[in-house]
Amino acid sequence: MTDRGREVVFAQAIRTALREEMQRDESVILWGQDIGVYGGVYGATTGLQREFGEDRVRDAPISEMAIAGVAVGAALLGMRPVVEIMYADFLMHAADAIANQAAKWRFMSGGQFKVPAVFRSPAGGGSGYAAQHSQNIESWFCHIPGLKVVCPCMPRDARGLLKSAIRDDNPVVFLEHKSHYTYRGPMPKEEELLPLGKADVKREGTDVTLVSWSRNLLWALEAADKLREEGVSIEVIDPMTLFPLDLDTILESLAKTGRLVVSHEAHAFCGVGAEIIAQVVEGHMDLLKAAPKRVSAVACPLPYSEPLEKAALPDADDIAAAVRQVVR
Amino acid sequence: MRPERIEQLIHFYRDMLRIRYFEEKILNHMLPNRLFRGSSHLCIGQEAVSVGAVHAMEEEDYLFTTHRNHGHTLARGMDLEGAFAEIMGRTTGVCRGRGGSMHLADASLGILGANPVVGSNIPMATGAALALKMQGRKGIVVCFFGEGAMNTGACHEAFNMAALWDLPVVFVCENNKYAISVAEDISMSDHELQDRAVGYGMESYRLDGMNVLEVYDFCSATFGRTRRTSRPALLVFDTYRFVGHHTSDSERYRPKDEAIEVFREKDPIHFVEREFLEDCHVDPEQAVDIRIDIKQEVESAFERALEAPWPDPATLTQGLWAESEVTCGD
Repeated sequence: MTDRGREVVFAQAIRTALREEMQRDESVILWGQDIGVYGGVYGATTGLQREFGEDRVRDAPISEMAIAGVAVGAALLGMRPVVEIMYADFLMHAADAIANQAAKWRFMSGGQFKVPAVFRSPAGGGSGYAAQHSQNIESWFCHIPGLKVVCPCMPRDARGLLKSAIRDDNPVVFLEHKSHYTYRGPMPKEEELLPLGKADVKREGTDVTLVSWSRNLLWALEAADKLREEGVSIEVIDPMTLFPLDLDTILESLAKTGRLVVSHEAHAFCGVGAEIIAQVVEGHMDLLKAAPKRVSAVACPLPYSEPLEKAALPDADDIAAAVRQVVR
Repeated sequence: MRPERIEQLIHFYRDMLRIRYFEEKILNHMLPNRLFRGSSHLCIGQEAVSVGAVHAMEEEDYLFTTHRNHGHTLARGMDLEGAFAEIMGRTTGVCRGRGGSMHLADASLGILGANPVVGSNIPMATGAALALKMQGRKGIVVCFFGEGAMNTGACHEAFNMAALWDLPVVFVCENNKYAISVAEDISMSDHELQDRAVGYGMESYRLDGMNVLEVYDFCSATFGRTRRTSRPALLVFDTYRFVGHHTSDSERYRPKDEAIEVFREKDPIHFVEREFLEDCHVDPEQAVDIRIDIKQEVESAFERALEAPWPDPATLTQGLWAESEVTCGD
């Protein structure tokens, strides 16, 4: 049994990963808006500029297109840039560099180049930032061959996955939940790398397989607690990496439970939940005892007002209700 | 003219002819015989910028280009057969048939790629320059683009960063007067494109792009300065594309005779023949021999490429992922 370590907040787990990788490898460099003295709008880079200097931790102008494009160019010549795009919504500015350039540069050249760049960005709602600072657009990037997409929830996982993402020779979109930077969880003291593309069973169970990621995983775990009191045993799986997806872990679970619920904060249409269910149904219908269900946001730009935002986003009650339906 | 200068001029002449014959092969033979897919963007008329600028680069320098890349890539020494094979989609192509005409790249020559998303290569070149600077390497990055790219946000964002961070990159704008069909009058608030760099505190010049020796001399000086000072610069070369934007362009947007007239006056290859070779007392027979020699070189590369095998469909996804411990599913 490894040391569970001390409790840290999510932001500190990110910072630890960045710091460890920067100490290990000089080619790891950071830039983004307000990441220097200010430490990033969510504090993920606090103190790093003081430690590593203004060249390696660089405040960038408000130029997302070039922030991401410069990362691609630097990666082509052997640097390992980790850029922060202040809000995932602004990834749309940077999308050309990420989706048209980073994702395709190796393939289009017949395998001549590598683009080891990481694009970190806070996504998600729940904090009253309204429609242009709250979106969950992980499925957009999952749809681009050539990109890996990581959406961690637990601080320990965030650190281990970010370290792997930085060492990966492919471009990685690393989405952190903006309402989750102060979430506390254990993180081992010793260095830990978690492989991209490997899911984690967060809670074992026998009746229903519940797949969820990012901050929404917390609501899945809460729902699992509630339902245990009702005598329903839920296996909660965090894929952690959405592309490449670890379907095997989900299938192993379904072999036990035969029932599947996928919940994510993004809305359902063309979301990653649709893909997971499609892959299960397409190849493994025999494992299912009931039709799978999705629990997700209402397809609507996220509103500002708290009761409206709550109405738009899924919560533990919504997930529990869906689980009750599949076990009925 | 000094003998070494004459030798250099003949070298440039050969390179310009090689690009011209390569593209004439595409236009006059490959197009009617449907030997390539999609479209191919020719630089016929712009060879002096390609050859003059690329020859001013050192071996350790890097180059980014655009969809209109045959001039830059061939001047840098890209294998003719590999380039033809790529455009024909063969497995022996420089990008193994994955890229085609718009994406010619060759890492071994420092050609970091061709970007047909207009303007998007400018931040990438800036990033490559940042890498060179941080790694303490001595090279510079040369980034080619057309005047249309100067209206993109990517261009201005990158100019600011390159100047702000003192990065060793030279931006070479080839103003061929038309962004596909849209002329400067319709798209540029001001035609003095070099002035846009002033706002970023970046050195910039506007020059004649039809005189290969002038292009070379000016680029040599500018690249050398950027190499020494790690300061970026913008060079805007006035040039002209004698053919359509791509191989199926109707060219409705310019008067029928315009290209023919400019060609008669300004063709950079005729310019070399008229202005220099005669003046330098280069034997006209020698010029004829050069033309025959290069033509044969292009023909024979084309014939070899034509014989090359098609890629095996089983290799479709090869090269998508860099080797990694993680297996990527479908």
